[in-house]
Amino acid sequence: MCMMQTARVISTYTADVSGVPSALFELGGMVIMHDASGCNSTYNTHDEPRWYDFDSMVYISGLSEMEAIMGDDEKLIGDIVSAANELRPQFIALCGTPIPMMIGTDFDAVCSVIEKRTGIPTLPVKTNGMNTYVKGASMAFLELAKRFVTKKDKAQKLSCNILGVTPLDFSVNTSVQSMKNALTERGVEIVSCWAMGDSLENIKNSSAATVNLVVSLCGIEAAEYMKNKFGIPYVVARPTAAAFTDKIAADMRLSAQDGVNRITCAGESSNENARVIIIGEGVSSNSLAAALKLEADIDCRVICATDDMGVSLGKRSVTARDEDELMELINDASVIVADPLYKPVCPKGAGFVPLPHEAFSGRIFRKDIPDTAKDIESVIAQIERIL
Amino acid sequence: MIKLAVYGKGGIGKSTTVSNISAALSQMGYKVMQIGCDPKADSTTALHKGKELSTVLSLVRDRKNDFELSDMVCEGFGGVVCVEAGGPTPGMGCAGRGIIAALEKLKEKGAYETYKPDVVIYDVLGDVVCGGFSMPMRDGYADKVFVITSGENMAIHAAANIAVAVDNFKDRGYATLGGIILNRRNVKNEDEKVKELCEDINSSIIGELSRSDTVIQAEDIGKTVIEAFPDSEMANEYRTLARAVLEACGIKED
Repeated sequence: MCMMQTARVISTYTADVSGVPSALFELGGMVIMHDASGCNSTYNTHDEPRWYDFDSMVYISGLSEMEAIMGDDEKLIGDIVSAANELRPQFIALCGTPIPMMIGTDFDAVCSVIEKRTGIPTLPVKTNGMNTYVKGASMAFLELAKRFVTKKDKAQKLSCNILGVTPLDFSVNTSVQSMKNALTERGVEIVSCWAMGDSLENIKNSSAATVNLVVSLCGIEAAEYMKNKFGIPYVVARPTAAAFTDKIAADMRLSAQDGVNRITCAGESSNENARVIIIGEGVSSNSLAAALKLEADIDCRVICATDDMGVSLGKRSVTARDEDELMELINDASVIVADPLYKPVCPKGAGFVPLPHEAFSGRIFRKDIPDTAKDIESVIAQIERIL
Repeated sequence: MIKLAVYGKGGIGKSTTVSNISAALSQMGYKVMQIGCDPKADSTTALHKGKELSTVLSLVRDRKNDFELSDMVCEGFGGVVCVEAGGPTPGMGCAGRGIIAALEKLKEKGAYETYKPDVVIYDVLGDVVCGGFSMPMRDGYADKVFVITSGENMAIHAAANIAVAVDNFKDRGYATLGGIILNRRNVKNEDEKVKELCEDINSSIIGELSRSDTVIQAEDIGKTVIEAFPDSEMANEYRTLARAVLEACGIKED
């Protein structure tokens, strides 16, 4: 029997509710999780490696049973207005969790009232705790785009926004800086990075870019929005080792010229006989598969185990969110490349290459998370040893 | 696109009235979409007799997202696009949350862009008892709320409650009150009582309907009065009401 939406053995990806503060953490806004009080450290410590080193205004509303039953939005509004008047954040983001979802809290209306009373831009992010972090971060970036990105003069040179950057996919090692370096070395100017190591001011200038680079599925909705609103095409791929990053830069140049979106990480071949399987977030995993082919001629299949956001990731990639479904898909694998917490469900006899992923195993293996923008030598070496 | 929601005490004749307004508007050349917001899913039955209509929520439950917009609508009399939100098994789940999920799904599937109705009417269950039943009056849904009442005390009480809810939401950008529709039950001092209600809630009677056997006869054969007895006095009353509703929404019909 297949048990849908159940993980008996492996971990689960962190939920949409954690994706929101992760996306907005560095931008000077106040993020309110509208949630019951209790242990809320999931949002800001377990899922947030920057918590102890970087000040950010992430709060929980402390929704009580009676407030939920009576629909007392006024308490929430009053608390936020009072805190915001004291702290004067650059914006306020109000995020949903399962209880407000069940009682049908009208986030648009509540945010509109808060904005009227404080004069501070207030963004509704209607998460409900039912999806993975990808959806939550994506919704947050989309609201950011809708609210803050205004029309600017286009840059003359090839320039981009890097969309979909959170520690949940990129951790807090050198990955983000390496990715930026890799792009600038290839002649791509970076307008903004959504949203690590950058400011809200730079993000507001995003429409000056000639192309967007979506480096995780978290960035896809903001990219779609900017394509429709400002005509900025996007390329979907995560810079991974040299050869594939060359291809990404070339595709970015093409897209900036012809205005066509490109999913550069999508595989053209199904690789159905490939015995190496990568499990993880769709863009990172497919980019690694593309890089492994270019760098070491290794064919892989990919399982996107998060929300795929409706992005067509090519023939070698399938989406599987359930443990049982996943186990069926990997039962003929010789090598599995995935977060270490996947190991218990891998078939006996298959080799395992650990690729820790913050959104799946949190801080446990953080020190082992590689900087794949720089190189993937160790991944190649481990796969080749097994093969 | 005109979007309006009709509320009123259970059993006051909302679905019958709304279906006749829809039918009358369709004959005046308007493309109408009628959305039943009641787990009983019987708002539009008089418009599409004999045609099967799956509710939005039954489709979501059975097929998740694997269905088309066309699966959750059917065209009824006069080309009225009929939709039923549906809801959970009686006594279980959460009907109010169901209305939210159904209306969101309808929007997500592009119902308004695809059918391009001139008029959308949300026929809402009884009173505004929880957040779910205020959904049709939220920003992006109805612009005007109409309340049906008779002179019966309970109906007037419900109408007053609905008006208070609309007023409470005024700083949220929700729908505003379009007016009261008097559906006569011929109770004592009926006109006076409803006028007094209007004064209390700062509104007015925009249309009146007589108590008539024609309505019951049409209902018995599963049709609207407009379809079954187009030349009747009652059909004319519904046509007059339809014009008054449009006028309250800012559209003047000659």
